[in-house]
Amino acid sequence: MLHFLCLLIVIAAPSLAHAGEASNVADFYRGKNVRVVVGFSAGGGFDTYARALARHMSRHIPGGPSVTVENMTGAGSLIAANHIFKVAKPDGLTIGHFIGGLFLGQVLGQPGIEFDARKFEFIGAPISDHVVCAMTKASGITSMDRWMASKTPIKMGGIAPGTSTPDNATRILKVALGLPIQLVTGYKGTADVRLAAESGEVAGGCWGWDSVSVTWRKALDSGEAIVVLQANRKTHPELANIPQAIKFAKSEEARRMIDVGIHGDSDIVRTYTLPPGTPKERVMALRRAFDATLKDPEFVADANKSHLNIGAIPVEDIEKDISGLFKLDPALVSKLKDVLYN
Amino acid sequence: MDMLNALVSGFLQCFNLSTFNLMMVGIAIGFVVGILPGLGGPTAMALMLPFVFKMSAVEAFAFLLGMTAVTATTGDITSVLFGVPGEPTTASTIVDGHAMARNGEAGRALGAVLMSSLVGAVFAGVALGAAVPIIRPLVLSFGSPEFFMLAILGISFVAALSGEDILKGMVSGGIGLMLATIGLDPISGIQRYTFGQLFLWDGIGLVPITIGFYAIPETIELAVLGTSIAKQEVGELGGVMEGVKDTFRHWWLVIRCSALGTLTAIIPGMGAATTQWLAYAHAVQSSPNKERFGKGDVRGVLGPGAANNSTLGGSLITTIAFGVPASVVMAILLGAFIIQGIVPGPDMLLPPPKGKLDLTYSFVWVIILSNIITVAICFLFLKPLAKVTQVRGSIIIPIILVLIYLGAFAEKNAFEDMIIVLFFGGLGWVMEKMEWPRPPVLLGLVLGPLAENRLFLSTDNYGWAWTTRPGVIGIFVLTLFGIFYPMIKSRRQAQQKIREGTTDQVREEGPASPKLHFNLPTLFTVLVIVMLAIALWQSRNFGYRAGLFPWVIGIPTFILSFGQFARDFYGKKKKKTDGLAMSVETPVEIAPEVVRQRTVSIVLWTIGFFLVIWLLGFSYAVPLTIALYLKFSGESWFITASVTFFSWLFYWGLFEKMLNVPFPEGLLITLFGGGQ
Repeated sequence: MLHFLCLLIVIAAPSLAHAGEASNVADFYRGKNVRVVVGFSAGGGFDTYARALARHMSRHIPGGPSVTVENMTGAGSLIAANHIFKVAKPDGLTIGHFIGGLFLGQVLGQPGIEFDARKFEFIGAPISDHVVCAMTKASGITSMDRWMASKTPIKMGGIAPGTSTPDNATRILKVALGLPIQLVTGYKGTADVRLAAESGEVAGGCWGWDSVSVTWRKALDSGEAIVVLQANRKTHPELANIPQAIKFAKSEEARRMIDVGIHGDSDIVRTYTLPPGTPKERVMALRRAFDATLKDPEFVADANKSHLNIGAIPVEDIEKDISGLFKLDPALVSKLKDVLYN
Repeated sequence: MDMLNALVSGFLQCFNLSTFNLMMVGIAIGFVVGILPGLGGPTAMALMLPFVFKMSAVEAFAFLLGMTAVTATTGDITSVLFGVPGEPTTASTIVDGHAMARNGEAGRALGAVLMSSLVGAVFAGVALGAAVPIIRPLVLSFGSPEFFMLAILGISFVAALSGEDILKGMVSGGIGLMLATIGLDPISGIQRYTFGQLFLWDGIGLVPITIGFYAIPETIELAVLGTSIAKQEVGELGGVMEGVKDTFRHWWLVIRCSALGTLTAIIPGMGAATTQWLAYAHAVQSSPNKERFGKGDVRGVLGPGAANNSTLGGSLITTIAFGVPASVVMAILLGAFIIQGIVPGPDMLLPPPKGKLDLTYSFVWVIILSNIITVAICFLFLKPLAKVTQVRGSIIIPIILVLIYLGAFAEKNAFEDMIIVLFFGGLGWVMEKMEWPRPPVLLGLVLGPLAENRLFLSTDNYGWAWTTRPGVIGIFVLTLFGIFYPMIKSRRQAQQKIREGTTDQVREEGPASPKLHFNLPTLFTVLVIVMLAIALWQSRNFGYRAGLFPWVIGIPTFILSFGQFARDFYGKKKKKTDGLAMSVETPVEIAPEVVRQRTVSIVLWTIGFFLVIWLLGFSYAVPLTIALYLKFSGESWFITASVTFFSWLFYWGLFEKMLNVPFPEGLLITLFGGGQ
């Protein structure tokens, strides 16, 4: 009898669930609080974006729960990533936001990683990091021709080994394009790299256009700083005349390195993630809410005001990029390990 | 002319009704945030950032800067009264400020710290305004080599912070620098002393260390003495006005420390957490009659009081002119700039219509105005505030314990930070008992990373050619002068004294007794040696990049600590070793067995509180522990119930409801209750 009942439930459940899905989800979320656990400190780029989203997302989640942001800092957001995987309850009330470069880190065997990227549920990513290399006019590197022709290595600022930008991007470009580069790493952040470039200590650096275009606006307008290269699957509308890095790659391996280490990484770098095993209907509801928020005129107005660009990466692309990481040719993996960590 | 217009226009903009109101709201929030330990300027700013969207630029910055500008002022109040740093930037005011409160001079200390804060803030505002034309060339002439040399100059201040026992001071400074290497090495990515713990990857935070270092020994002291914070009454002389007068008595010191704060803060990475110690060291170094420092010298309050406020102006200079955040607060402020669609940079320094100099000048005015208002408000409440130091210790202690753990947890929402507090609480207490100076440890801790980072950036960028840069040589000469001038001066004074026939009271005592001493101080020194040895042994695998700094610091510190051991072991001791060890003279004699029993009891309470937080979570631990403590110390049911209720209400209302601090559930609650 009991078996029969179980069987009945198993058969009946999916269809019933589907019918009542929306109202179930709304019932669940009503009066609750959704936490967005951000792996970086308050006031930084990840945090600013997450707080802007959190302010508007509540309206789009069935049941209208409140949405708050918490900062769980440490180890370049790895503490938050491990927390989402191991500790957070998979109930759809905890959303994680840590740097997506950690997914590549898992494949390359970065120490301290205790998650399996393939088991996370993904909600989406609001924007792709559009990597550009910007140089000061004073450095003399005003174009790719000049850069490639340089007899001496060009000093580029970095933060720490393993960070997606500037370090990983710069290291990959150096090897894949054979550019004369001396990466000087250890600056506190891209703002310090920019200051070092302005004072002539380094020539420039490679990091996100969203940041460069805002913080270095004045110098870009006056020609004191020049973008010489971009690296993203799409050419940025504001950078129509700037060459794409991948065009300078001579070998298939070089192209693969740029595609995996810069292009793919840029798309997944700002993902919003749920703990493994979160109920499917809540995952779907949060995905829909995430998409709707990004299109919400009030959010768009807020984002415009704070110079936050919007260009959602579909969840399918994120999942494809991440599962792709685990199918990489072992030779490429060891090459990347060598380039990024040694 | 344009600049003058901008100056006036900036001033007038502050008095626009809505701007002024928002500034007042900001001040009110900053006031509370400053007083509460653990709830720091950065957290408050990040929480308030969303409200900035709806404001105009001037309004937004009046609000945010008003809030930030006062945190360093009111944070000093907590430091003075409770010995718990209200802000990480006000830790140095504890050393002499709290000692003054213990001596019954809380009012005087508060008066001095508030007045010097005001002077510091006004100085910073004026400096920021005056620096406008020269900001960019000034900062751009500094590169990594100069930053490195400035860090070295700062580290050389350890000597001044050591009191009269330079050897212990240098070992302490070395320990601080070694502690600074904990975490991922930023250049090679190698883990140093992390013991596989992720929470150590970013190193250990200044906040839990400072809280542990000062608040825990203070609490133990308070419990052992069994008095109120103030051990004695000192009528009018200990009053607020006396402190205000002190500010003007030591006017040049206050101005010098203000300048020190503003100038060093221009360097990215040098926030008020650093400048306060430099100012304190400078106050000690430059003052005649140093004996009172550490035991309640008002000059030790005035220096850091001025500097932690004047730092804001300096940090703003780099943030405004370059968009490079000099500190965490500035990084968040930069976020606000971006929300407002303002890009920091040269434009900020040009008069309108070309630039936004009027906005920059409105910042200057906000800093000045908000501090005047805060100090004025504080003076109204100072007398009742100072009375806190006369409340029975048994009521104050559980509240301080709550503040200690809340402060430790809430900065980063990290449970592990409470363990750090306990560890450094123990260390700080032992150091105090063994008369080891604690400030050098903190100075080493804040300057270590800057020095290491900039050293490698210098050599990577310039090879060894950086050592010949004029700026580097200039700062090097200044450092040497700073080290040797006091030595020459004191030698000269000593010679003069001999000539005058007075004997020098600081003399080395020969081996007083033939027997060797293996007592507690010797044991502690041995412990230091063992720890350093383990650290050096661990560092053998770090490689050149990550290993250089631990070796260069660790080996000399290791050798020096042997010197200290020899001194302890052979019983050699300077006659006057108190220095800055901050031991407060005990006016009441307490029997040793009572001291022992009270010490054990308070240590158990402190650890027990932590365990209850771990097992039951904050929401149960706070009321439970407070109630038990009050009851065990013999308070009436009425006092127990009301103190417990109000402490809990404060904790719950502010931290749980308003701030949504994600307190972890207790272990037992998750195991048995299922939790949420």
